This record gives sequence, structure tokens and C-alpha cells, in this order.
Amino acid sequence: MSRPSLNPTILGVRLSMLCRFYGWRLRRHTAQELLAGGGIAVGVALVFGVLVANSSLMSSAGNLLHGLVGSARLQLVARSSDGFNEGLATTVRRLPGVEAAAGLLREEVTVLGPRGRESVQLIGIDPNIIQLGVLTQREPVSSELLLAGGLGLPAEVARSIGAGQGDPVTLFANGEAHPASVRLVLSGALANATRDGTVAIALLPLAQTLTGRLERVTQVLVKPAPGAEALVAGELRRLAAGRLDVEPVEEELRQLGSAEKPTSQSTSLFAAIGGMVGFLLALNAMLLTVPERRRFIADLRMQGFDSHQVLLILGFQALLLGIGASLVGVVLGDVLSHTLFHRVPLYLAVAFPLSSAQLIHASTILLALGAGVLATLIASLPPLIDLRPGRPADAVFREIRDDAGVSRDAVLWLGAAGLVILVAVTVLVLSTPRLTVLGGVALALVAICLIPAVFVTAIGALARIGERIPGSMLVIAMTELRSTATRSIALAGVAALAVYGSVAIGGARQDLLHGIDGAISHYFGTADIWVVNGDDIFNTNSFTADGTAAKIARTPGVAAVRTYQGGLLDIGTRRLWVRARAPTDPAMLEAGQLVSGDLATATELLRRGGWAAISSELAAEHHLRVGGSVSLPTPSGSVRFGVAAIMTNSGWPPGAITINTNDYSRYWRTTDPSALEVDLEPGVAVGTVKHAIEGALGNRRGLLVRTSGERTAESEASARQGLRTLGEIATLLLIAAALSVASALGAVIWQRRAKLASLRIQGFDYRQLWRALLLESLILLSIGSVDGVLLGVYGHALASRWLELTTGFSAPFSLGGLQILETFLLVAGMAIAVIAVPGLRAAKVPASVGLQE
Amino acid sequence: MNPSAGLELRELVKHYTSDAEVVRAVDGVSLTVAPGELVALYGPSGSGKTTLLLLTAGLLAPDRGSVWFAQREVSSLPAAEAARFRRREVGFVFQSFHLMAGATALDNAALKLLGDGWTLRDARRVTRPWLERVGLHERAEHTPDKLSMGERQRVAIARALAGEPRLLLTDEPTGNLDSKRSREILALLRDLCRERGIPGLLVTHDPQARAFVDRVHTLRDGHLHEGLDAELAMSLA
Repeated sequence: MSRPSLNPTILGVRLSMLCRFYGWRLRRHTAQELLAGGGIAVGVALVFGVLVANSSLMSSAGNLLHGLVGSARLQLVARSSDGFNEGLATTVRRLPGVEAAAGLLREEVTVLGPRGRESVQLIGIDPNIIQLGVLTQREPVSSELLLAGGLGLPAEVARSIGAGQGDPVTLFANGEAHPASVRLVLSGALANATRDGTVAIALLPLAQTLTGRLERVTQVLVKPAPGAEALVAGELRRLAAGRLDVEPVEEELRQLGSAEKPTSQSTSLFAAIGGMVGFLLALNAMLLTVPERRRFIADLRMQGFDSHQVLLILGFQALLLGIGASLVGVVLGDVLSHTLFHRVPLYLAVAFPLSSAQLIHASTILLALGAGVLATLIASLPPLIDLRPGRPADAVFREIRDDAGVSRDAVLWLGAAGLVILVAVTVLVLSTPRLTVLGGVALALVAICLIPAVFVTAIGALARIGERIPGSMLVIAMTELRSTATRSIALAGVAALAVYGSVAIGGARQDLLHGIDGAISHYFGTADIWVVNGDDIFNTNSFTADGTAAKIARTPGVAAVRTYQGGLLDIGTRRLWVRARAPTDPAMLEAGQLVSGDLATATELLRRGGWAAISSELAAEHHLRVGGSVSLPTPSGSVRFGVAAIMTNSGWPPGAITINTNDYSRYWRTTDPSALEVDLEPGVAVGTVKHAIEGALGNRRGLLVRTSGERTAESEASARQGLRTLGEIATLLLIAAALSVASALGAVIWQRRAKLASLRIQGFDYRQLWRALLLESLILLSIGSVDGVLLGVYGHALASRWLELTTGFSAPFSLGGLQILETFLLVAGMAIAVIAVPGLRAAKVPASVGLQE
Repeated sequence: MNPSAGLELRELVKHYTSDAEVVRAVDGVSLTVAPGELVALYGPSGSGKTTLLLLTAGLLAPDRGSVWFAQREVSSLPAAEAARFRRREVGFVFQSFHLMAGATALDNAALKLLGDGWTLRDARRVTRPWLERVGLHERAEHTPDKLSMGERQRVAIARALAGEPRLLLTDEPTGNLDSKRSREILALLRDLCRERGIPGLLVTHDPQARAFVDRVHTLRDGHLHEGLDAELAMSLA
């Protein structure tokens, strides 16, 4: 039996020969290969980094959830943070078909350690949880935790606040500051699941004491006996009596999916644009090598290689480049996903137990590698046109110039194609808004198609200006750009794509932030000072009133104190944000967030009671209109509210519901506030009254006193933290593209040293040549930037619209001139800075380079 | 001969050190080229011809000796002065033309003047007669890719002459041309030197050049010999 050869022959060409061909190519055209590979790597890195970061959030949250619920299949869930009596867990355990059940108490709290503070979900566990397999006798540390009491912190949180095992920490909950000690949970299934989570574990009685929810739980986990799931679900529903939710334990994951979907969709869109730009960067870099590869093809065919063999050789080279570049991209993407993109969105951590663990699936790696290789293969296609019959003679009889120039017809055809795509995108977006994302990607193509026209027009105009300027290096620069039109257009195209991507992504992100900032500042603008429960940015955790409002009202300078109530409410896969404002609140709704309805009428109806303002996604999902009615599952059972207005989601992706505090108190069966709004008397100093209120609160150190501006800034910071990835993608794209342009320009300038030497011999000073080179680069970048900005602004408008449609956030379009200017300065500045040194060296080229020895 | 307007190389020496080995590129070369005279410089590859051209144009400083032109020592000029000397007084013709692909023949010929503060419009105006002189009046608006090799070299010659230089230096101007075009170009160079009364130095391998120049020299191993040495004469025969 013969062994398989290590050097097989493919289509008559040895593998070693294929490798050798590529080795020669790499040695001869290192810069171009690096440039093309760099583009592919950037695209793959962005897409891979975002995919990993997005999928990790859900996967790790799934692991955490499964670690917490063990073998439970069903759960009984409270409809407010007040929960229900823990005795219900005992009742559940006695239900027919129930094998095990355990109560849980979950609440958003803040833990303060020597080095910092962290917002976490405190999870109080009932010892019966052992029967669900969550903690077993074989996990001694966990058992010790149960027996000794104390707080179990995931390693990540403990490290972040600087607390070790046995260290004292302070826990802020229910408006109080509680001393507690840390017991790290470091072994067993629960520990593994919670290692990177934003949670804290405590025995149920301790959690109840810390949160002031004595004898209360928010959840009962239920493990039905085999085959008894339907029976148990029915019994639980009977027990719930319409006042609690009965659902599968995975329901929360679906709700998390719904909550994080807009953010992951946005980052995916931005990464897709980034990937597209990366591919086009590579395509442009490959275009720079077309004349040389055409010569290579012609040489091969003249030497007797048939078209299949040529295809094999070129395909092999593209494959190696694609694999190499994609592998680099995956590594870079992994670094990105662990560094820049690695963060748990704080705004989601308020409502869900999350984990910061990064999980990479083999399918993600394969997808990224496959996309990168495919992109490289596609980018390598153009020279294959020479495989048509009769073309081999070109190598001998026809001159293949380094830069064949761009014909007038090509400029016109490409320009026309660009305009046609532009019109098609506009029609498509107007008729089918959901396809806006496709339009955004198509605009990148338009930017490329229009570059030749912009280039030719700009060069013509600048050349005419240059003719009139004495000793103008502008003429030299323009002549050189004309001489290398194809290459120059390709480079301007790279700049255009970079600017397009950055302006479109950056602009849309800015709009989104403006929209969210507007919603937040309106939301907190209803009072001069807010008294809030720890770091609860959505004001969803109530605290015991305990005469606090009256104490504040007696503080000098305080005109009025209003109760604000709020919580989270699950409807289907949506975990909605419920906001209840006092009827005396000056603004029941944020004017800028109104989607449908009349603000004055809606305000009046909300004050009257029995009416709610709801988010547009919820309205769309349940086919609701202003004037209609919606049934809300409250802790008192289902209650029907009239729809007073339809709003944006007010910055909370699953949506929000606004009602008045009278309705909330009645149906949620609590008068406890989750925040207090404080109005000041006219003319008093806010800072002075703020300190006075802090003094009046005495030992309620868990309550934070914040001015409206401070609270707005905190909430905006939290929202921006969740959307930071979008900005980072835009910046990374821009930096990568600027470096690509700079390196391409540098390589092109370096290749022209002989011509520069000839100019030096003719008496041009090296400073004149350097000036001409910098001018040429600046003009090229400016041409690309103008094209990129024009299309980028359109792309920005489309992306903002798409974000509004898919995320439910308000993202009002604003041009963002400063951001555009910053983008241009960054691209031009970086590129010019990078090429300044090689440019100077090229300008100082020895004259002998221009002569033949 | 009017020595004040001629080119004079006096005992020029230029050595390079490469891998601890001294290369005597130019080793005591003296040469005088009178106004209107075209002198051919033959030599095998590596004989120092390019170095001699660079020294003559003030692009390299000699280790010893000097270059004089129009009663001025070119070899001791500071870099900026040397650049001005090349712009205003030297016309340079290259083997590979060094034309800009995107510019017309007229603009290519005019470009050199921009380095001296001309506007392109004025440069075109004064260059146009030179294009006519080299027989390319009809082709002035063509870009190099539309021109034959001979025409491209004519554009390069027009460019060299556009600033009305007082010294013509050429490096293998016929290296890329066929024999007929070579003769045309050599005749043109000879005629221009005579008409303008300017000295010309022609570095070449072209055997035909002997028929068009006033004198022939050979540069071998850095040393200059009058006429063709035996080895070169045999190879050119």
C-alpha cells in the first residue's frame, strides 16, 4: 500500500511549487500582501469580536441561570420586588407531583469594599435548594456558607471591590447600609456558574434581613416529578390565582434575549458595516496589485500553464492569504472581545443576573474564518479576466502598465451605477424600512462607485487652480495623481470607506446617545433633587418609607417631596420597566419620547388614574392604539388600563409603562417608594439643601441624595457604558483604515523613488518634493473623505432610522459636524503623520536611483 | 573655445567603501568640454559613469578635485545652491525618460520650471517652442502612453532644454530606443549643443554615438582615457 504523498500533484502542479510561487510573491510584494491581509484581518476581527461578545452575554447568562436553578423546571415569580410570603414555598412543596421546591429572594443591591463598589443582584437561597442539585454536601465551601451565613461573592466582583475571604464589606439595600462579611464561593457547580457573574449569594434569612423583606421571597423554583410537569403547572397556576407568574425557568433567558437584542443587533449591524469596510479595504489593496498579477498570469500562460493551473495557483495564493489574515483577525477579535468589547451592560444587570464570562464557540471561529477566506477569494477575482481565450499574447505584445489609468467611460459607468444604487437604496428604504440595514451596506458600495467621478472632478479643478500659482507643487502633485489614477482612486476609496463607516456608525451612535440622554434628562428633570435607593439607576427597587419623606419635607429649603414608585413587570418575553409618578408631578411624561397621542391629554389622563402610557414595541406587539386598553398582570391580578399615549422605550430596550402612584399603590399593594422627588424653594442653593437632606436622612446611608444633574449624569454614564462598543467599533475602524491608507500611500511613495530622484536631478529641492508628496497625500485623503462624508451622512441617517425602528430608542438625526471634522482630522492627521517620515526619506532619495549605471 | 562657458572636471576623485572594500568609482578624472561640444563617455557597467554624472551635476561632493562650470566651482556649492544650479543651468536627459504618465507631453516638458517659481501657464508658453524644435508640436497634448519611445525621449529632451540650460548632461538617452530612433536622438543632441553653444556630456553604450559626438572618452575602473580603449572598441565593433 502506498503512503499518501506529502507533496501531491494538483492539476499537474506540485504542492511545493504552489507554496514556492506564493513565497516568491510574498518576497516581491510584501507591502501589498500585508495591506490586503490587514483589511481582511480588520473585518474578521471586528465581526468575530462582536459575535463573541454578543453570544457570550447570552451563553454565560444561561450558564449562570442554570447554575442557580439546578434541576428546577418551573417557577412561581412575584410581579414586584416586594415578593410574596415565603410560606408559599412550603405550600408548593406539598403540591401533588412536586419533587422539590425552594424559595429565592432576588434584589439589586450595592456592595462596597476597600477598593470600590459594585451593583449586583443579591440572591438569597433557601437550604432546600440542595434538593435541586444547586448545592450538594460534596461542596464543602458552599455548605460552609450555608451554615455560617455571610455573603458569597463571585471572584470577579470580590476582586473588583478589593475584598477577600473573611473581609468585611458594606451592603446597601432597602436604603440602609449593612455590615456583612465575605465568604467566597469558589467550588462546585454554583461557583463555576457564578464565577464571573454580577451576583452575590447569601442564605435566605440574611438576604431578607439585608433587603428588609422579612419572610419574603420573589421566586419559588419547582422541580416536578417525572411526567408531572403539566399537573404541577396547573397546581401552581391555581395557587398563583392570577397574582403571580407561573413559567418555565428558562423564561428569564428569553426575557434577557429580548432585552439585549436591540443592543446586540446594533453592535452586529455596526460590526457588519465594519466587516464590509474591511472587505472593501482588502479589495482595494488587491486592486493595487492587479497590473502585477495580470503580468504574472500572462507570464504563466506564455510558459504553458493552462487556465485551470493558473486558477489553481492564484486560488492557492488567495487561500493562503485568506487563512493567514483570517487567523490574525480571529486572534485580534479574541483580544477585542476580552478587552474593549468585554463588559457586562450595567443597565441590563439591573434586571437580570449576568455573567462576564467570555465563551467562544467553534462555530463562531469557523464562521469568521470562512467569511474571511471567502472575502479574500472574491477580492482576488479581478485579474482572472485575463484567463479568457487569446489573452496570453498580452504578455508579449501589449504593454501592461503599472497604472493603466481610468477611462472616461469607466468613470461615467461607475458614477451612473453609484447613482442607480443610491436611488434604489432610497426607494428600498422608503418602501421597506426593515431593509434599511441593507441600504447602509449598499451605500458603502456607492461610496466606491462615486470615487472615480469625485477624483476626476477634484483633480481637474485643482489642476486649473495650480496652473495659476507660481512654483506650485500642487501641479506636481496633481500630475502624479493623474499618472497613477487607478492606484490613487483605490487609495481614495480606502479613505472614503473609512470615513463612510466612521461617519455613519459614529453619527448613528451619537443620535442614539442624544435620544437616550434626552429621555434621561427629561425623566430626572421633574425634580431638583432625587433621593434614590443605592445605585438603582432605573428606580425599580423600593425601600421602606419609614417617615423618610416627612423628614426631608422638614428640611429648610425643601418645597415639596413626592413619592416615585417603580419596578419591573414581565409580560411574555418582555421585562417591562414600570414607572409610577405622583399625580402632582410637573411632568408625567417626557415630551421628546412621545410617539403617538397628545401630551397634554395624556398627562391629564395619567393624573386622573386608570390610564397608562406604553412603549411602541409593546403597543405594536399587542396591536394597541391610543384610546384603547391594555391588560397588565399586577400583583393584584390582571388590571385593565386605558392607553393614554404611546412612547419610545425611554432607554429600556424591552419597553416602559408609565402610570400614576395611586394606581401603583393600589395594584402593586405597596406605598413604599423606590425614589423620592424633592422640589426646592425658589432661590435656595441646591448644594446646601442637598447636604441638609443627607443630614436629615441620618443612618439611612443606603439612600443617595442626588441633584437632578448628578442623577442624569449617572444614568447617562450607565447608558453610554452599554453602548460604548458601538463607538469603539467606529474608532477602531477609523484607525485601521487610516493606518491602511497611510501604509498604502507610504508603499506607493516608496515605489516612486526613481521618479523622485529624476526630479532631484533636475533641480527640485527635497523640501519641494516632500511638500508635493504631502500635498498629494492630503488631496487624496480629502477626495476620499469628501466622498465618504457625503455618503456617510446618508448612511448615518439610515442607521439612525434603523436603530429607532429596531431598538425602540429615540435616535433623532443630527448632522454632527464636529464629529465629521474629527473623523477627517483623525484620518488625515494619522495618515499624514505616518507617511511624513517615509515621505521625507523618499524625497531625499539619492540621485543615483534615477540613473542607470 | 571660450573656457569661461565650458565644463571642466579637475582631478576628480570619489571613492566608496563597501564591505570594508574601497571602490574607486572616480579616480583622478580630468576633462574639459567646450561650449557647443558634445563629448561621449563610454564605459562598462560599474566603471563610474553614473558617479561622474552625479559629481558633474553637483549631486555628489567629490573626495578630492573639483567641478567648474562658467567660472564657478560647482562641487563646493551648498545643497540649495547646487539644486538651483541644476534647475537653471543644467538640462538632464535620462535613459528611462522619467515622464509623468498623467501629464501631456507639453506639461511634462514644462514641469521642471515649476521648481523655479514659474506658473504652469507661463512654463507651457516658453516650453512649446522647444517641443516644436524636437518635432513634437503636433503631439503636445498627448500623454506618454500615446507616444512612441523615440517621441518620449524627445519630450525628455524638450524638458531638459526648456529652462534654456547652459550645460547638457545625458545618461544613456538611446538605451531604450531602436537604432533608427537612436540616430535621430543623437543627431538632435549634437545639433542642439552646436546651435545653443552649450557643452554636452553623453554617457552611453551606443556604438552609433561615436558618429555624432566631437570626442570620445572611456571610463574604466574610475580612470578616464581618451578615445575608446581596445576592449570597448572590440565590444562595440
